[in-house]
Amino acid sequence: MKTKQDFPSINQRKADGLASDGNAYRVLIVDDSLFVTKQIGQILTSEGFEVVGTASNGQEGLDSYKELYPNVDLVTMDITMPKMDGVTALEKIMEFDKNARVIMISALGKQDLVKKSLMLGARNYIVKPLDRKKVLERIMMSLTK
Amino acid sequence: MRVEYINPFVESAYNVLKEVLSVEIVRGELYLKSTSMPVLGVAAIIGLAGDVEGRVLFDMSKVTAIQIASAMLQSMEMEPIEELNDMGKATITELANMITGQAVTKLHNLGFKFDLTPPAIFTGDNMEIADTGVEALIVPMDLPFGKIEINVAIRERN
Ligand SMILES: [Mg+2]
Repeated sequence: MKTKQDFPSINQRKADGLASDGNAYRVLIVDDSLFVTKQIGQILTSEGFEVVGTASNGQEGLDSYKELYPNVDLVTMDITMPKMDGVTALEKIMEFDKNARVIMISALGKQDLVKKSLMLGARNYIVKPLDRKKVLERIMMSLTK
Repeated sequence: MRVEYINPFVESAYNVLKEVLSVEIVRGELYLKSTSMPVLGVAAIIGLAGDVEGRVLFDMSKVTAIQIASAMLQSMEMEPIEELNDMGKATITELANMITGQAVTKLHNLGFKFDLTPPAIFTGDNMEIADTGVEALIVPMDLPFGKIEINVAIRERN
């Protein structure tokens, strides 16, 4: 669904995906649905972010993070996934790199799950269905705080 | 099956379908179905576990699945599909995941604690899913793309 607000004016505006040094933020997308990895990738690349990796379960996400580190600025993490769920992967990524910036993106919005994720170090929590505006707003909040 | 379980699924299905497809949705009358059931051609299935056990099945024809997936892809400025390929399947299973996730969240707020499994998808004509002895409630949703039957079977753990 598109609204006018989804397309901010481009006049003099720096793309969201560029850090203050002008380099693109590097993102790892973890989700078991090919549809969602494409969807998030589309939203982020259109704003200048660079997608440096995708993974389809928590274990793969953790392995990719370790491989990419330190050349990764942000992880989007689904929760319901085969092999290893996203909360476990979040916990393991935070153990590996306490400064990791991980944002949960899940169809589940249960309060205890949100609380647990934030306590484990997630920077934000986005509940699906996704739209461009919601994703970019939350991601910018977690990159600048 | 307790009737409290079903309303969150009806509401979530309506909300999510409306939000991601931006089309008119008409809710049909609920009805009960028992024993194994033939599916319409494409079935996405999600398991539920915790205080209860069960599963939710999203049943639709292949044509409907292709049209729904195409509409979701096009809303993201992605190419529509002509066959139910991997992207089409990933789109339908994610739709099932979003509806079930929202329903499980609503049920959680009502005090029913359970979780969902990652979705799986089955295709094939006249395929049957056997759940022996499970009584299911069917929530039919009519869309311009055809109908989706959301088949919810939940039972308390003994
Ligand atoms: Mg998932």
